[in-house]
Amino acid sequence: MTGIDTAPPLAGSANHPPRRRRRLPAETGAVIALAVLVALLGWLSPSFLKPASLLSVLGQAALPGLLAIGIVFVLASRQIDISAGAVFHLAATIAALLMVAGTNPWLAALAGVAAGAGLGLINGLLVIALRLPALLVTLGTWWMIQGLSLVVGNGQTIAPPGLDGLAALSGNMFAIVPVTGIILVVLAMAMHVVLHRTRFGYRVQAVGSNPQAAAHAGIPTGNIRALTLVLMGAMAGLAGVIHIGVQGAVAPGDSGTFAPLAIAAAIIGGTPLSGGSGSVIGAAIGMLVLQTILSAMTLLGVDAIWAAFATGALIVLALAVDRLIRLWRERRTGYHRDDPLA
Amino acid sequence: MSDSPILSLRNTAKRFGGTVALEDLNLVIERGSIHAVVGESGAGKSTLARMLAGIVRPDGGIIEFDGKPVTIDSPQAARKLGVGVVLQHPGLFMERPVLANLFINREPLHNGLVSRHEMEARSRDLLRQLGIAIDVHAPLHDLAPGERQLVMIARALLGNPRLLILDDPNSALDQRQVERLVAVLRGLRARGMSMLYASNRLEDTLAIADQLTVIRNGRDVLSKARQDLTASEEAMIGQLRQSLFPLPLRALPTLGGALRPQISVTGLGGGTLSGVSFTARTGEIVGLAGRAGSGIRELFATLFGQRRPREGKVRFPDGDGVPRNRTEAARRNICMISGERGHGLMPDKSIAFNLANVVVGARDWGSRWYSPGLAVDRAARQIEALRIRSTPQMPAGSLSAGGQQKVIIAKWLEIGPQVVLLDEPARGIDIGSKQEIYALIRQMAASGCVVLLHSNELSELTGLCDRILAFHQGRLAGEIAGEDMDIGMLATLIASGQPTDEGLRGKRESAA
Repeated sequence: MTGIDTAPPLAGSANHPPRRRRRLPAETGAVIALAVLVALLGWLSPSFLKPASLLSVLGQAALPGLLAIGIVFVLASRQIDISAGAVFHLAATIAALLMVAGTNPWLAALAGVAAGAGLGLINGLLVIALRLPALLVTLGTWWMIQGLSLVVGNGQTIAPPGLDGLAALSGNMFAIVPVTGIILVVLAMAMHVVLHRTRFGYRVQAVGSNPQAAAHAGIPTGNIRALTLVLMGAMAGLAGVIHIGVQGAVAPGDSGTFAPLAIAAAIIGGTPLSGGSGSVIGAAIGMLVLQTILSAMTLLGVDAIWAAFATGALIVLALAVDRLIRLWRERRTGYHRDDPLA
Repeated sequence: MSDSPILSLRNTAKRFGGTVALEDLNLVIERGSIHAVVGESGAGKSTLARMLAGIVRPDGGIIEFDGKPVTIDSPQAARKLGVGVVLQHPGLFMERPVLANLFINREPLHNGLVSRHEMEARSRDLLRQLGIAIDVHAPLHDLAPGERQLVMIARALLGNPRLLILDDPNSALDQRQVERLVAVLRGLRARGMSMLYASNRLEDTLAIADQLTVIRNGRDVLSKARQDLTASEEAMIGQLRQSLFPLPLRALPTLGGALRPQISVTGLGGGTLSGVSFTARTGEIVGLAGRAGSGIRELFATLFGQRRPREGKVRFPDGDGVPRNRTEAARRNICMISGERGHGLMPDKSIAFNLANVVVGARDWGSRWYSPGLAVDRAARQIEALRIRSTPQMPAGSLSAGGQQKVIIAKWLEIGPQVVLLDEPARGIDIGSKQEIYALIRQMAASGCVVLLHSNELSELTGLCDRILAFHQGRLAGEIAGEDMDIGMLATLIASGQPTDEGLRGKRESAA
């Protein structure tokens, strides 16, 4: 289509050229929070600033961090998956049992990831078929999957004998960098590119921004919703398999707080609950923030009875700071959503 | 102080980021008068209304209400002053019943409980005056868009405001409803209420206004009493109206009619539709006229793959039948542009992102990657071609209503559509953008699309279309073309399903 010439120029109709402003990236809040926390903790307890202990935080962040990567895609498509922690546990249990039964550990690991993706697919199919919000579907399946891993694992710790190469996951590279941490960093960067530079990522954000408009523009919204849940399941399965490699065993209750941790990390990292955008790198940084808070508890010797409460309070604080930064940014750009929950 | 104006604005300014919405705006509304604010989309009408409603805060300037300087920093403050507002994007609660919407936040209490009885009693008269015959206990989403808009107006009136702000109150109303509304507003003016009336429909505005202010790019360029308007000033305002419908472009005169690809519909039925048959060729604009319930919506939904037809056959220019879903429709270059708000836009995403909706989002061929750089180039091109006043990086929600609609059209133009289904594509937007959109529709036809246009504004159909199909209760009632295209005749056809001479005369008078 070429240009059109219709309206005659009228008095006073010169355009005000809109000014370009530099926009802060979505991860700003998380980066600032991490820097402040590390500085504060280093000041309170200088031993924390040693590279080894900093990198161990990275190692701790790896497993829930993988879940956070998956949850970013789910949140960006305006859904939520609270069954991720349970999927993690069931995938780990299945992989461990296969190893106990004598399957090749790598094959068993692959089966664990596939089991995670399969559980995600069940979530996705339920969402499409029943037209139910993912929150309700995963609320139900969370319970089912949790129960299932108790049944399958018989409520006991499963420690597979020969782990072979998988055991390398518990080690370090270059002496101090945990292998799991490297996996997190590489996957976060790769998935960040997937979210922002591929057709799949584009569709995820489009569906999350306005599902009606997306459907109207011919974007296959159902497939995209299901695919994000499959991806979430696969990431949870992968995390579960790595968990076996690191710990050498899977115990009941191992995944306890993973799902809420992952969701909190994604939100701290700049992914809104209302969908439409997301930052995978931000979620990884958000998970580092959370793990720093958790290790601060032990490092500063907070009474174990109070640790859970203090952690929760700090997470609320982190969310509040992030929210305030966001409001400030919106005031600068002059556009804000009507949605009060955005 | 009783002779001071009810509201006066001096040097009011408002910026959104880098975009200037209002700049040095002055406005004086006299007591007991209707003050119309006219201007193109993006001129600042809605910002003005939202500012007086306490939703946006001005960056500078003085607001005097009732002779005293005031700050309206919240909707509560506006309500306290006695400012009632009817906004373009209403805060309506679709799942709640009509009554709950009418009395939101001022529910009458009886022994500490909300009194439904009193709500009914207090709203009954007003609803009758406005001519809404609805079940007040039905949820709002059961109502037609026009009825919803009237509910919104009724809600503002129930607060007994001293100053009523109406931002484009008649965009979803039909002619009869507009007449009712105008009668009610005149009655209120007689009882001393003052009103600010911002609208895109110039004729209605001129008919009702006592005073008139033209704003352009956030400044007031003319402010006068209605009867003092000189002919040249009226002509200046009228520029908005003139040449609304561009001359037809004929691009394919040499091709034989039979050879041109066409869409043919044979005996289509389903929903309210039954036995609909017609053909439309590339290069022509075929109008579809009909009231609510005439089946045009179903016809469009069927052609766009949203509904399965119960019977009948459709053959598209590419040789296939109806698409199975919207994704298939988009991939086969069948596009649907609707005036329904919220159906086409991702307001929080950038214009560049929105323009990639179909090219990247719907298609599954081409690159698997999404390149933001390419998207920005694409957006820059369309912004230039369609005169959208913004930059590719701005969120689409920051555009005016007309600009938003242009973005929706532009994203479909990107794929080079074969069949274009237009469902009131210019509803609720200003005259300037309307003109540009009409020119675009002409251009689509000239460049070889099959264009089907549905509109409730009959003048839009007669002005733009080569021929018009009239629908009545799911059936094709008749077809008019060429010299016969006349609003009165069309109105009769869609109202009764038959062209009778008697009805024709009557309708002509009322349409004039």
